[in-house]
Amino acid sequence: MSLIGTLNVGQSALAVQQAALQVTGNNIANAGNADYTRQTANLAPALDQKIQPGMFVGTGVDLTGIQRQIDEALNSRLRASVSDSQAADTTQQWLGRVESVFNELSDQDLSTGMSNFFNAWSNLANQPQDVGLRQVVIQNGQSVAGDFQNLRKQLVSLQTDVDDRLTGLAGDADQLAGQIADLNQQIVNAEGGAGDANGGANGLRDRRDALLKQLSNLIDVTTTEDKGVVNVYVGSEPLVIGTTNMGVGLKQTTDDKGRLTTEVIFKQNNGTMKVTSGQIGALVNVRQQISDTIDNTDNLAANLIFELNKIHASGQGLDGFSSVTSSSAVSDPTVPLNDPKSGLKFTAKNGSFVVHVRQKATGLETSTLVQVDLDGLNGNDTTLNSLASSIDAINGVSASVNAGKLVVNADSSDLEVSFSQDSSGALAALGVNNFFTGADARDMAVNQTIQDQPTLLAAAKNGNKGDNQTALAIAALESNKLPSLKNASLKENYQAIVNGVAVSAATAKTNAEATQTVQQTLEAQREGLSGVSLDEEAINLMRQQRAFQAASRVISAVDELLKTVIQMA
Amino acid sequence: MSIVPLQLARVSNLLRSNLATSAISRTQAQLLDVQNQLTTGQRLNSPSDDPGASAIVQQLQKLMEQRQAYSDNIKHAQSQLGEVDSSLSDLTDLLQQAQQIASANVGSDVTAQERQGAAAVVKSLQSQVLSVANKQFEGVFLFAGDRSTDAPFVDAVGGVKFVGDSNVLDNVYDENTQLPFMVDGAEVFGALSTRVQGTVDLSPRLTPTTRIADLKGATNDGVRLGSVQVSNGTITRIVDLSNADTIADVQNAINQAGVGGITAAIAPDNNSLILNATGSDNITVTEVGGGTTAADLGILQKTPAGAGVALDGQNVGAQVTLLTKLADLKLGAGIDQTGLILTNGQTTATVDLSSAVTVEDLVNAVNSSKTGVLAKINDAGTGIDLVNPTQGVAMTVAENGGTTAADIGIRSLAPTTKLAELNGGKGVSTVNGPELQITRKDGTQFQVDISSAVTVQDVINAINTADGGAGVTASFTTTGNGIVLTDSTGGAGQLSAISINFSTAATDLGLDQPASGSTITGADTNGIEVSGVFGNLQKLRNALDASDQAGITAAAEGLKDDYDRIVRVRGETGARVQELDARDNRLQDENLATTKLLSDLKDTDFTEAISRFQTLQTALQASLQTTAKVMGLSLMDFLS
Repeated sequence: MSLIGTLNVGQSALAVQQAALQVTGNNIANAGNADYTRQTANLAPALDQKIQPGMFVGTGVDLTGIQRQIDEALNSRLRASVSDSQAADTTQQWLGRVESVFNELSDQDLSTGMSNFFNAWSNLANQPQDVGLRQVVIQNGQSVAGDFQNLRKQLVSLQTDVDDRLTGLAGDADQLAGQIADLNQQIVNAEGGAGDANGGANGLRDRRDALLKQLSNLIDVTTTEDKGVVNVYVGSEPLVIGTTNMGVGLKQTTDDKGRLTTEVIFKQNNGTMKVTSGQIGALVNVRQQISDTIDNTDNLAANLIFELNKIHASGQGLDGFSSVTSSSAVSDPTVPLNDPKSGLKFTAKNGSFVVHVRQKATGLETSTLVQVDLDGLNGNDTTLNSLASSIDAINGVSASVNAGKLVVNADSSDLEVSFSQDSSGALAALGVNNFFTGADARDMAVNQTIQDQPTLLAAAKNGNKGDNQTALAIAALESNKLPSLKNASLKENYQAIVNGVAVSAATAKTNAEATQTVQQTLEAQREGLSGVSLDEEAINLMRQQRAFQAASRVISAVDELLKTVIQMA
Repeated sequence: MSIVPLQLARVSNLLRSNLATSAISRTQAQLLDVQNQLTTGQRLNSPSDDPGASAIVQQLQKLMEQRQAYSDNIKHAQSQLGEVDSSLSDLTDLLQQAQQIASANVGSDVTAQERQGAAAVVKSLQSQVLSVANKQFEGVFLFAGDRSTDAPFVDAVGGVKFVGDSNVLDNVYDENTQLPFMVDGAEVFGALSTRVQGTVDLSPRLTPTTRIADLKGATNDGVRLGSVQVSNGTITRIVDLSNADTIADVQNAINQAGVGGITAAIAPDNNSLILNATGSDNITVTEVGGGTTAADLGILQKTPAGAGVALDGQNVGAQVTLLTKLADLKLGAGIDQTGLILTNGQTTATVDLSSAVTVEDLVNAVNSSKTGVLAKINDAGTGIDLVNPTQGVAMTVAENGGTTAADIGIRSLAPTTKLAELNGGKGVSTVNGPELQITRKDGTQFQVDISSAVTVQDVINAINTADGGAGVTASFTTTGNGIVLTDSTGGAGQLSAISINFSTAATDLGLDQPASGSTITGADTNGIEVSGVFGNLQKLRNALDASDQAGITAAAEGLKDDYDRIVRVRGETGARVQELDARDNRLQDENLATTKLLSDLKDTDFTEAISRFQTLQTALQASLQTTAKVMGLSLMDFLS
């Protein structure tokens, strides 16, 4: 117990209050910084001095730590919610774009185009001998084909945009993971591996937390902390382990359907990164969804092409053919027509069709049944070569295979050839007497031969020029249940595609609102604990100011006492 | 708008400003949405706004678009049928005039010159009727059926020929409503009213290449392909026949299934399938999943008939098609291919069928015979008909030494022909006592009473009986059509057959022909004539020219029938137009209802949107004011 001791008490108070003031000042300075965590200075009475047995006197105040006010569990929940809300936002944004590609509910959509097209066939049935109405059918056909191609092109370009964005985001994520690994190093160095039990490298830790949050924007990550080091995991695989960044990259692979898919990987070991949320996770899903939509669109177009061609191939136009070349080439004319090795996009089945040879002058026809044997029995299934030779055997007709395409010629300019009653679909599969060419939305178009000679467009089924049965059958096609579309009709299938996208987009919209609320709630909780309240800091400021002033008073009092003691001497 | 749940002990400044920002931006986003709804008038701007409602909207839009086609079709049908109606009205006027001319020219007070003058008027009526018959509407010949690219009625030798088709075009006017928008020109003008209908069932035999599509099916519903279940009592297999195109495909599929020793074949009766059993095979064939394939193929057998017993199926009714081989007709018996002799008016043609292989070859041979006669497979697919499309001339179908016409059942005059059908239904005149007197070459005469004869064969028998089988014998010709009288007496006189007792039997039977040596070959008096509008007008004109009162009356009767028929067709057409009108009205009503429904789903509810707009505006104002107040408040202000 001495005056000097008391002086030391004052001094400790001055030093500690000064530090506390700095903490308060720092809090105030970072009041507007969202990444900042409020810090508090922890004070404790200094160790007592024993002045008599059983009697102790205080020796002042000690600063035991400057600590961040943080709840790590809350922070990791917040990060998860950030991932989810970003994922929902991104999904909503991109699916909105997919939806706008379809432009449904307007008068300029594909569904209206299809209606116009089938209505044109229905109208042709009113005057099946009319060439002008055939032009209308062809124009509407071109516009449907164009709409399909356009739709697909836009979807593909949207997919490319997703890929570009993914590439950018993967780069960002990689960089963030790298920075987190660096900060792990710096924090360990700064804290000497002691962790933050009594307060640690708070600024560095705040910065690392900010980076983790940015990373959660992109990828759904989980973290564990060990003595100042944060390990970051995606699923159960580590992304940052200690000071090592496993890296984020992209890999393009071809899936079993031959489509190009994009996969997120760990750059270090090329392992698959199972990203399910965050912007990157959302984009991977959206990309898949666009891919599915493209497939569905292709499937719809393929069904429209094949089903319409099957009807058209058995019909007759105002003119017969003097020569016809199939539009789809076969890669191997010696394999059965339904063999995948034939390279045909559409599959013919066991059946037959009739070839009519008409003498133009007399109108007399001779008909010949051509069998398309595809029952897979007896090893005599029809190949393109055998089909050509059985057509070639018909009087007045010659047939050959040229570059994988079937060429059928009338032997004389007095004769013309037409086809009917195709139960095999072989003519449509090969593209003989077809309305549409192409395999799906990618290359769908109206047969150039028909565009050049609209009189070849088939409205008749019984060979009479004024017959309209083919036109009627095609007009009814849009509403026919098709086994190849799981017993849905073309129009129902299209509506299902549009509705599929709409429901996903609507779900994403709802999700976005819900996840945003969760995120805001968690953020509010974090702010409640870690945010800076200026009013609170103002009170702290006053308190510390007064404490500093009082401590100064103690020192000056001791000083006077000491002066008195010295004057005594 | 969702409210952030807050249970906080302390409020940081950042939290306050963040909450304010998000509240303001959310309210602003919602305001924009409402503003968008108000300015566009649409509640749904993209399907995701309300996927449920927009799915219905899409369906309704599609429905409206489809109805547009129906409505267009109705308009077209209305105008085309309207045109038909006015043509039919013109036609009835013309026929009335013709009938008036006919009735005015019957009676003793009209001179032959006056009748010839009237004939000239009828001639002009004929050309007017022809121009009505060939009337076009928007490039379509109204009465040409599905051959509407060419005029359906053309002048042919001795008459007017119908080259149109009886197939009339349909279109769709509503869901599940398909109606013809044409009338059958052949019916209106009576162009094909008479035809030689094949009386013989030509149903071809089953061959391995017979197409399933060409079968009538055991239950006459066609063959609906699917799977069948075949069992021999121990082994049961499902046999998929859905890809079968021909009988051979069905056989192969069953044989490949390997159900014991069961094999499928064409039954000996040539019209059904048979499943042969080997050893202890106890055959059952049943349907799979409610199908009808086994029943359609005539091989449904639910309870086994016993071990080793074959399953002989039912007749599957193979139909005659153009591709059917002539040799396969009549269950494989085939037809004689010697050929036919066709006569139409003055034109005679021999149709050689010796190199014909298919029904189409036969049809082509007939159609290209220059007689104008057409061959057609009948609608039931069981025979072949010959049609005379030329009005005003008679057609006969005769043998050319073989049995072709008889085999097909199209011989116009045969021993079995009933006398009552001869001479266009006038029959053969009979009187009390004998009708015929035949003079042999040896000068002997005998008389024949044919009063009790019903068929041509009865007449032949009567002649043969009358002369006791010696001298003159009657038979039916093998080349051409007619009764042949052969005189074996070898006298120097002239063989002849005449009618006696004021009968016209010799002429009616075609026996009043000059003898050639010792034979008389009778003529075919069963010519098939189309008694349509053109035929009757021509008859009227001829009768007027010839001043033949009976002919005028007969022609007038024919014209009366034509008139009645056309009035009936016109009535039917009118009824169809009315039906279309009613449908059109209904479509419009339905469209109105759909439009309202669409509007309910798609359009902005302005009352609701405006009140929402105001609420949001108030909310935004409140947010802004609160924020401004709260953010301005700080203890720092009070620090000195």
